[in-house]
Amino acid sequence: MPFKGDQLLLYGVQYATYALEVWVCVSLASSGRWRRLKGLGLYVASLILLDGVARPAISNFFGRESLQFYYFYWITDVVFALGAFLVICGFFRRACAQEDKMWKFVRLLLIFVFLVVLGVSTLSLTRHYTHLYDHFIIEFSQTLYFTCLVLNTLLYVMLQQLAIDDDELGLLVCGIGVQFAGEAACLALMHLTADNAMARVLIEFLAPGCTLAMLWIWVYAIGKTPQTVSSRQYQPGKNKGLVEAVAD
Amino acid sequence: MFMAALILMVSTGLFFFYIQAVCQKILRRQFSQEFFQSIVNANRLEFPSVRKAIEDLGAPVEYPRLLLTLKCDYLALTYLLKNAANVNQRYSYEERLLIVYFKVVFAGLVMCHWLKLRETPTALKLTLILEYFANVVGERVNTVRFGNLTASDYLLSL
Repeated sequence: MPFKGDQLLLYGVQYATYALEVWVCVSLASSGRWRRLKGLGLYVASLILLDGVARPAISNFFGRESLQFYYFYWITDVVFALGAFLVICGFFRRACAQEDKMWKFVRLLLIFVFLVVLGVSTLSLTRHYTHLYDHFIIEFSQTLYFTCLVLNTLLYVMLQQLAIDDDELGLLVCGIGVQFAGEAACLALMHLTADNAMARVLIEFLAPGCTLAMLWIWVYAIGKTPQTVSSRQYQPGKNKGLVEAVAD
Repeated sequence: MFMAALILMVSTGLFFFYIQAVCQKILRRQFSQEFFQSIVNANRLEFPSVRKAIEDLGAPVEYPRLLLTLKCDYLALTYLLKNAANVNQRYSYEERLLIVYFKVVFAGLVMCHWLKLRETPTALKLTLILEYFANVVGERVNTVRFGNLTASDYLLSL
């Protein structure tokens, strides 16, 4: 059966995402930055294993429209949300590396926030017990993603306020912010437009698109963190005329 | 329903905020020297004078001239980005992102004028993007090597 244009595009985005996930892992390993970014490395590795391997395997085995794939998809989505929450905690730890007192406070705040999300979701579970997967899992993911988005924004503000000069961390935070904001918007849109076909198509493209954007920003952060150009590459005087010649 | 609508609005706003923050982070890149000066002199670009006028007088030159100046400089620099000492003859991903960012900020400048808001911060942002482009071109021309050839050897061999 020939592919439709939108299916082909969706596959393109998906495979580009897998390629970038592998690229992030390889960049982390080859540059030796994995020591500083262990949490991030584990999160991306889980994305490769669950999203790149396990989900397609379940989809092929049971079928994309099967109940098993539906359950597996949303459960792994919760796993990703939890993983992302831990990544944010790791970023907070790095931002507070010089401020022990602040880290103690932030740690308590993070635990409190997680307990609140769990409490709110449990309340939701008692209300939607009969529609566990239809309502609870989606709502839990949405709440957790939105909480991560709020925490990430707090972290961004904290980086600005404390004037922490860590461009790599700044870009990593922006990357994860793009992913959370997109994902939270998609889930909210899904909630608002329950059976709208147009919205469903939009969400199908938006969610992997946001992941792709996050991975691209991370690749840039890991490989090309804004830094001073090596002075060895520049030979003063020698190429000055050339600059003007080429520019002309 | 209300919460979902609120989350949708806030998330969409934050999505664009983070994209803007990424652009600002890319623009913060420090170059080892002011490469843009040679490019500005060679191509008689006008954005440094626009910035100087804004910084000294607190207001840009008259609006039609400002638009034309920034647009012309943008066209010249994007051409150089693609063609000057660029082996692949295409923009990198960050350059593409900044080109889109420039267009959005440029549209913002036009909107500011229509709504009679202050144009100077937006105009300064545009000059900052142009300076980055000029720095990238200058740096590329200064540092690029084609195999064992220096940039000048390469140009002589064409």
